[in-house]
Amino acid sequence: MKKVCMMGLLLLVSFGLLFAQGSAESAPAAAQTKKPVEITFWHAMGGVNGEAMNTLVTNFNKEYDGKIHVTYEYQGDYDDEFSKIQASGGNYPCDIIQVYDIGTRYMIDSGWVKPVQDFVDKDHFDLAQIEPNIAAYYTVGGKLYSMPFNSSTPILYYNKTAFDEAGIKEVPKNFDDIIAISEKLKQVNADGTVKRYGFGMGNYGWFFEQWVGKMGKNYVNNNNGRGDKPATAVAFDSNGAGLQIINIWDKLLKSGVAPYLNQNNADAKAAFIAGNICMTLESTAALKSLLNNVGDKFEIGVAYFPSINKDDVGGVSVGGGSLWMLDTKDNTRMDATWEFLKYMVNAENQAYWNKMTGYFPVTTKALDTETFKENVKKYPQFQVALNQLHDSKPQYAGSLLSVFSESRQIVQAYIARLANKELNPQQTLDGMAKDINKAIETYNKVNY
Amino acid sequence: MNVDKKRKLQHVLIFLLNVPLMLIILVPLFYTFSISVMPADEIYQNHLIPTSVNWINYIQAFTNPYYNFLRMIFNSFFVSIVVMLAQMVTCSLAAFAFSFLEFKGKHVLFLAVLATMMVPGEVTIVANYLTMTSWGLLDTYRALILPYMTSAMGIFLLRQYYLTFAKELYEAAKLDGCSNIRFLATIVTPLSRPALGALGAYEFLNTWNQYMWPLLVTNSKNYRTVQIGISMLYDIDAESLGLMMAGVIIVIVPSLSIFVFMNKQLINGLMAGAVKG
Repeated sequence: MKKVCMMGLLLLVSFGLLFAQGSAESAPAAAQTKKPVEITFWHAMGGVNGEAMNTLVTNFNKEYDGKIHVTYEYQGDYDDEFSKIQASGGNYPCDIIQVYDIGTRYMIDSGWVKPVQDFVDKDHFDLAQIEPNIAAYYTVGGKLYSMPFNSSTPILYYNKTAFDEAGIKEVPKNFDDIIAISEKLKQVNADGTVKRYGFGMGNYGWFFEQWVGKMGKNYVNNNNGRGDKPATAVAFDSNGAGLQIINIWDKLLKSGVAPYLNQNNADAKAAFIAGNICMTLESTAALKSLLNNVGDKFEIGVAYFPSINKDDVGGVSVGGGSLWMLDTKDNTRMDATWEFLKYMVNAENQAYWNKMTGYFPVTTKALDTETFKENVKKYPQFQVALNQLHDSKPQYAGSLLSVFSESRQIVQAYIARLANKELNPQQTLDGMAKDINKAIETYNKVNY
Repeated sequence: MNVDKKRKLQHVLIFLLNVPLMLIILVPLFYTFSISVMPADEIYQNHLIPTSVNWINYIQAFTNPYYNFLRMIFNSFFVSIVVMLAQMVTCSLAAFAFSFLEFKGKHVLFLAVLATMMVPGEVTIVANYLTMTSWGLLDTYRALILPYMTSAMGIFLLRQYYLTFAKELYEAAKLDGCSNIRFLATIVTPLSRPALGALGAYEFLNTWNQYMWPLLVTNSKNYRTVQIGISMLYDIDAESLGLMMAGVIIVIVPSLSIFVFMNKQLINGLMAGAVKG
């Protein structure tokens, strides 16, 4: 009996606590006129990136003390956060949200967002200070929709120590080069098993998209999804880009140049760090974590993201995320949001952000800051990444698609079947195109 | 003497069989732990045992105000314990009705309750979310607790256990003028401690391990639970495996210890309902 009583008591107490909390919350806020404008910011940065974000926002709050206060909250990784905004976006749960690159078309179509361009025009903000190749990605129909914030491109990482040992001086530019030098780097055990591969990469849909852009071709129709109307079908099947990519992929796997390293990039990264592959593809933003994990085991070199063919004329596009302003219809809050966005992309902050995370500084002036210069001196590899970005052109900004995350999954699933020798390259391409087209069609039917 | 020997042999055999099993189960846990204390450049060298131990990851997880693990641990404990207690109460009340009382439509009702077990939680998550939004409960402890205050699994488990009680017990109590509530509180509940304990431990772990629901209904750090804390330690472009693994260890310690303490109850309780029904 005693125990039951205790249990009941505990329960009562905990309920009391619950509702005590509730009454405190619902108490009307004291009507103060001089209160700072409160805005909420949802982000998806974990680990060291989250810590750097923390510093930036804390500094902002200090600087704008009494005027604007930003509450920023981590909302899970990009996918989780995106699901959350899809579920609750219509209620405008926040003022600013960080969304990944591939969520761009969805955000534009949602009707919840206020294009950043409106404030750029109103405030006469000089857009030329934003890296043109980064801004291009988030510009649709001449309008900059969201403020670029964390941007990266894929890049080739190589084991410089292994290159030196094998006497390789030229860094590979395309897959012909990669196949040629992989032979020199490959090490085979006495029993015939491979000890070390020259090249290896994760089965990551992002690379597929990048190669299409690197050929200067479109991934989807309707001006790569950037036209007045959203894309209605993929274009990589009819313009030949897809088949060329799949053929190279098939060749790498069949000829034993590269092992199959599973979907996404974690395994490829681990294999590279462990020294089991000498070259791999990864985001520029991974540079710091690669350097940390490799330590002084070997020297890391970087080179441009390799093209499929020798004579490809195109460029890389940015991945990562940008900051979206939700159209809360509250002008005071939206003005405060704009102040915050400007602060996040000012030169000093972008240099700091770049130093802490490895994402590109999205502001060109950041390149003149001491912080940036010191950082590049420390990590000269970063200069290569930056050159690659500058060598690209706004017209290769990459495609927009509302079902991009699904499309990426489909590409990966078919490449996995190709690796498994279930399908030949043509079947792989046809399957991919068919499934993605179906996803696009379903989405368009429901949403337009 | 012979029997004794036989028993000893049996013990040794069981022990020998269990050792490899234990190793298989414990090695990943141990590896998680050793990654969390390894220097960063050692993680990818396939070492099972770190050459040197450093606690920097733990210190960071606890002291960096950005992660605020202590608060999240408190939140998780608070929510899990309230859910656990609430389920013990609601489930035993419902189970009592379904086992001792006679009323019209009892079986249909019970089947309806069971049917909800067939609906995966993911299906109702959006509907629940909309309900919470319209009640204005987002970002409160109530949103984390309310939808989980009862469960079909709990009702079923306790009902099966109560069915093992002799009907005469209830009738005798009734004859002596005992009310239903008193009978439940003073006779049934003490006798069903194994089942209640099993239910409690099970629900505690379930709530402790929730990820999607707390992420959806909480927006601020004040109400975040530990599972979200772990994902905060991770980033696709800048992963720090050591820190993540430290987070994993911090989070599984409470659930593991619950299992150690409640082990007996858990196994007894789950078995008890299963045999007789």
